[in-house]
Amino acid sequence: MNRNEYMAALRRALSVLPEEERASALRYYEEYFDDAGPENEQRVIADLGAPETVAEQILADYRELTAVPQQDAGSTAAKPNHRRRGVPPWLLVVLVLLAIPVGVPLIGGLAIGAAGTVAGLLIAAVAVVLAFVVVLPLTLLVAGVALCGFSFALWGAPASAVTTLGCGLALFALGVLVTLLIIKLCTLFVPPLVRGFVAIIRWLVDKLRGRTRSNGGGTQ
Amino acid sequence: MSYPVSSSLLDGIVLAVVERESTYGYRITQDVQKVLDISESTLYPVLRRLQKDGCLTTYDEAFAGRNRRYYKITEHGRALLRQHRIDWQNYRNGIDSIFFGG
Repeated sequence: MNRNEYMAALRRALSVLPEEERASALRYYEEYFDDAGPENEQRVIADLGAPETVAEQILADYRELTAVPQQDAGSTAAKPNHRRRGVPPWLLVVLVLLAIPVGVPLIGGLAIGAAGTVAGLLIAAVAVVLAFVVVLPLTLLVAGVALCGFSFALWGAPASAVTTLGCGLALFALGVLVTLLIIKLCTLFVPPLVRGFVAIIRWLVDKLRGRTRSNGGGTQ
Repeated sequence: MSYPVSSSLLDGIVLAVVERESTYGYRITQDVQKVLDISESTLYPVLRRLQKDGCLTTYDEAFAGRNRRYYKITEHGRALLRQHRIDWQNYRNGIDSIFFGG
């Protein structure tokens, strides 16, 4: 085994480590080879032992290091940071209490108004879409069939009957065309619309959840 | 006769080596190997741990067309080394008193 093969084996054996840790260890041993000099390459490989054993030592030490102390260090390092950045919890409580007399009527009124407007718009939009999607083709089809039926009643006057039948068939065909067109449009537009709607809802939920989480962190 | 080296003794030895002068991994290993029978792979985890505990810091210096990583002792490392020296003195005195009669 030469130096390159040794380092490649060590890299593989350290693959479970986070990138930074692995890079640090690999750099150390690359430098170790450099400092030992090419004439000592085989001696270093022999003395280091199998790459897997070297890796196991590093991994064991890393596990020991991250088991308890680093978690501790992480939480104690994160907390003061958070406090320094955010508004102090007591100040937040006072501000919220002060804001209630002004905020509740104002925001309440606005919220009800906004909710009403949104609901009205939504219902109107649904009604328009339903009218277009369901009523229009259905009307055309029904009218077509009705005219065809009606034409048989006019059998006494063949010219009128045939004209009526032709109109009925034309309306029916138009109905079929519109239906197909609408189905096509639905397959084109409904999935993205639904996806967009889901995305908006998810964004709102995330936003709310994120806010309650950071509040919870701030008051702890 | 050889005695097993505990990891805290190894910490103290590495701190003492680095305290003399800031130096790099290969040199530290050579220095420690002069007095202790350790493998060349023993010291990386020790150096990494001491670095994470804030006892050592590293800096890079150009050498022969590449960067060499040097280890430097911190104030925290010095304090720990002082404690190691006291503990070692007590330990050695205890053993000496039994070996050679206090």
